Amino acid sequence: MSAGDPDEELLSRVAEGDPAAIRALAARKLPRLMSLAGRMLGEAAEAEDVAQEAMIRAWRQAPSWRPGAAKFDTWLHRVALNLCYDRLRRRREVATDKPPEVADEGPAPDRGLQARDVGLRVAEAMRALPERQREAVTLCHYQELGNIEAAKAMGISVEALESLLSRGRRALRAALSDMVEP
Amino acid sequence: MTRERFEALAEAHGGAIARWPDDARPAAEAFAASEPQVARAILARAESLDAALDAWRPPTPNHALRERVIAAAPKAIRRAVRWTWVIGAGAGAGLCAATAAGLLLGVALSFQTSQSDEPVSSVMTAYEAPALGEPAESAT
Repeated sequence: MSAGDPDEELLSRVAEGDPAAIRALAARKLPRLMSLAGRMLGEAAEAEDVAQEAMIRAWRQAPSWRPGAAKFDTWLHRVALNLCYDRLRRRREVATDKPPEVADEGPAPDRGLQARDVGLRVAEAMRALPERQREAVTLCHYQELGNIEAAKAMGISVEALESLLSRGRRALRAALSDMVEP
Repeated sequence: MTRERFEALAEAHGGAIARWPDDARPAAEAFAASEPQVARAILARAESLDAALDAWRPPTPNHALRERVIAAAPKAIRRAVRWTWVIGAGAGAGLCAATAAGLLLGVALSFQTSQSDEPVSSVMTAYEAPALGEPAESAT
């Protein structure tokens, strides 16, 4: 059931073309989509393209959205993930030697150089993960989806999700062994 | 909950029990209450990885992207609504056609049965075509 879907009321107003609702949904979802695509693709410009396309699909979906088994946020994650996979597949086909630019917005005034360095190391370690492990860690740790929603978005069982998460986090721990508890 | 299961959950879901799966949380909290030192050590190890992961900041949407996305909304919604109408009208037309065909068939059947003494079941068999590749049974 979609009972408790926090986006449902906003979506019905979006479907009527309410400008305030459109702005509110964009403000709510764009940062999440940028975060997801940025972490999956490791490149800010590509993340923007994915976020924009996913939001346009959300606008198209709004008038026919029916509360069903999945929450709107889960559906939107699935859409964005598919767009990310299309781009990752194209990258493999092009087989470029140039590694993608790391999506990091640079040090903010409240974050020192050290935090930025750690961030770059984490980005490298995440990029080295197999895609499905990176997806699982991104959905659960960064996007904060519950295990049931993340498993739905990935189209796998919760047991398979837990296995991907464990393997992913173990690999990250090994890659960052000089900064985390062994 | 066993220590091994508690460790496995921390390994997969991190050092905050609040973010573990709903169905595992009560037993995990009970384990943490009964074995506080063991639980603290396991959670601290997982938290150190969580903290490192959090140092990677995501890209954020800029003003231009936000405005582009918002500007695209009215047209996308209008088109989607039009398509909903087209599909709805198509389905409605199909339903009307099916209903009309059903009515015609009903009228035809009632007319035919009123003209003959045959039971309706035998009239119905006239509409059953033989399966493809099978010879039609000859009437004996």
